[in-house]
Amino acid sequence: MQCFSHLLHGISFRKKNSRFVKSSIKIVVLGIVLLGFGALRFPFEVKLSKDLRVGGLTPAPLEIDTRDKIDQTSSAVVLGGLRTLVATFLNLRAFSYFQEQKWDDVAESFRTIVDLAPRTRYYWETGAWHSAYNAASYYYNDSKLAPLRRREAWRMSIVRGRAFLERGIRNNPDDWRLHSYLGFMLADANKFPAFQDPNATFAASADAYGKAVATGKAMDFTRRAQLYSLARVKGREAEALALVRSLYATRGNQTPTIKTLLFILEAYQNPQMEMEKRATEIFETPEKAYSALCNQWVRTRELYPVYGIAEALGGLEVTLKKDPNESIFKQPLQSPTMTDDWFTK
Amino acid sequence: MSHAIHSLGSHISRISVIALHAFTQLVRMKVFYFLVVFGIIMIASNFFDLPQHEGPEAAGLNVLRSIKSWSLGTMTLFSEVLAIVATALLLPKDVEDRTLYTILAKPVPRLDYLAGKLLGVLLLVFVSLLFMNILMTVALHFRTGMVIENQMLMAEALGWPQDQIEAMKVDTLAQGPTWSLQGAVFAVFLRASIMASLALLISTFSSSTLFTTIVSFLIYFIGHFVADARDAYLQVGGGILAKLLSLLLSLILPDFQLFNVIDAVIEGQVLPLLMLAKLTLIGLCYAVFFTLASWYIFSEKEF
Repeated sequence: MQCFSHLLHGISFRKKNSRFVKSSIKIVVLGIVLLGFGALRFPFEVKLSKDLRVGGLTPAPLEIDTRDKIDQTSSAVVLGGLRTLVATFLNLRAFSYFQEQKWDDVAESFRTIVDLAPRTRYYWETGAWHSAYNAASYYYNDSKLAPLRRREAWRMSIVRGRAFLERGIRNNPDDWRLHSYLGFMLADANKFPAFQDPNATFAASADAYGKAVATGKAMDFTRRAQLYSLARVKGREAEALALVRSLYATRGNQTPTIKTLLFILEAYQNPQMEMEKRATEIFETPEKAYSALCNQWVRTRELYPVYGIAEALGGLEVTLKKDPNESIFKQPLQSPTMTDDWFTK
Repeated sequence: MSHAIHSLGSHISRISVIALHAFTQLVRMKVFYFLVVFGIIMIASNFFDLPQHEGPEAAGLNVLRSIKSWSLGTMTLFSEVLAIVATALLLPKDVEDRTLYTILAKPVPRLDYLAGKLLGVLLLVFVSLLFMNILMTVALHFRTGMVIENQMLMAEALGWPQDQIEAMKVDTLAQGPTWSLQGAVFAVFLRASIMASLALLISTFSSSTLFTTIVSFLIYFIGHFVADARDAYLQVGGGILAKLLSLLLSLILPDFQLFNVIDAVIEGQVLPLLMLAKLTLIGLCYAVFFTLASWYIFSEKEF
C-alpha cells in the first residue's frame, strides 16, 4: 500500500515537474520569438518614428526638467500620451495664478505648458502676454515697491515676455501670428522703453513683421504695421520709403498714417522739396493735411520721425490763417517715453 | 480548395459567435454608463473659455481646442481601461463560470476561442469610441459653426477683403471636425487594440485578473518610453550595459509613442493618410503577433 502511494506520488511529481519544464521552455521560446519580432519591427519603427517627428506629428521627448515640474498625477497622464490634456489643466491653473497675481507661478506654468504643447500658438501668445503686459502693468502700478525696483521688475517682465515669444517663434517659424505679435510688442510705446536701444527694437519689430509677411499667410495690416516700425529705424529710411510707396499704390492702404509717413520719408529723402505743397498733394486739401500732420506732430511717445512736418505745418498755418495763439507749436506734447518719469510718480 | 474555404468559413463563424457572446457579456456589465461621464466632460469642456488677448479673429478657437483635447483625452483613457480590464476579466470569468470547459469540450480550436474573445473586446472598444466620436464631432461641428459665424460678422463689419475672410475660415475649420481628427480617434483605437491583445497574452499565463490589469497598465506606461530607449540605443556613445538594456526594452515592448499623433492633431496638424496606414500596419502586426503568442501559451494549458 505504502509502495503504491510512493509510486503515485512519484508519478504526480514527475508530471508536475514535466509541466513546469514544458511551460518554462514555452516561456523561453516566447521570449526568443518576442525578441525576433522586435528585431523585425525595429528598423520600420525607427523610420516611422523619425517620419512622424519630422512631420511634427509626434512631440520630441520631454525634458527631464519638465517631467519634474508636473506633478505625479499629471506625469502619469503625460506618460499615457495625453500631453495636450495636461497642458489644458495647467492652463486653467495658470489662470488661477494670474487671478492671484502670482507672476512667477504664471511664468513657470507657461514654461511647462509649452513644453507639453509646443505647437499651440495660443499658449505662446498667452504666456508672453501675461509676462509683458499683465505682470509688467502690475509692477508699473505697484506703489509698495521702491521706484528702482518697480522699474526693474517692469523691465524684466517685458524682457521675459519677449524671450518667451521668441522661443515660440523658434518652435513655430511658419506661424505668421507669432511673428506679428512680436512685432506688435516691440513697437508698443509702453513696451519698447524697456529695451536699451529703441532703434534696434524698432528694427527687430520691423523684421518680425517682415517675417510674418514672408510666410505668405499674413493679413494686409501686417505690411502696414511693418512700415510703422521700419519708418522709425534710423538708417533704413530708403527701405521704408520704398515700402510706403508700394503700400500707397493700393487705394485700401491710403490711411492717414500711411500718407503722413509717405510725406515724412519723402521729406527725409529730399529736404529741398516744397513741404506745404507736397503735403497738400498727398492729403488732397490743406485742411486735411494740417489735421493729419498736427496729429503726427504731437505723437512724440512713439518716436516717429518728423522730417518736414514743422515746415509744412508752419506754411499751412499761414495758408489756413490760423490764430497764432492756437498754433500747434504752442500745444502740449505727449509725455516722454523716458521711464524715469514713469517710475518717480 | 473548397475544403479550405469551408474550413475558413467555419473558423470565421465560430470566432464571430464567440466575439458576439463576449461583447454581449461585456455590455451586460453596464460598461456604457461611462458615456454619461463623457457627456458631462464634453459639456464642461465647452465652458473653458478663458479671457483671451488675441485679436477678434481668433475668438473661440481656444474652446475648439479644449473640446478636442478633453474628448480625445477621455477617449484614450476609457478605451485603454476598457481594453485592459475587459480582456483581463474574460478568461478568469469563463473559468469561474465554467463556460470555458463547455466551450473547449466542443470542437472549438483554442485559437478561435482566443480570437473570438479578443474581437469581442475590440468590438466593445470600437462601439464605445464610435459613440464618443459622434458626440465629439457633433459638438465640435456646432461650436465651429458658431465661431465661424461670429468671425464672419466681425470681418464684414471691419470690411475685410474676401481672400482674407476665406483664409480665416480655413484656419478655423482646421480646428473643427476634420478627417485628421477621425484619424486620431482611429489611432486611439489601434493603441487600445494592441493593449487588448497584450492583456490577452498576459492573461493566458497569469493567475488573476488583478495581476493582468496591473502588468498591462505598467506595460502601457513603459511603452511610452520605448522611443526614448530606442533613441538611447541609437545614440553615439554611452555605456554598453545601458545600450543593451535600451535595446532589450525597445525589442520586447511595443512603442506606444508612435500612436501619440493625437496631440499634434489637437494642435491643428494634418495627419496624412500614408502615416495612418503605416500606423494601422504596425498596430495590426502587434495585435496578430500577441494573439498568436497567446495561442501558443494557451494551446496546451490545462484547467
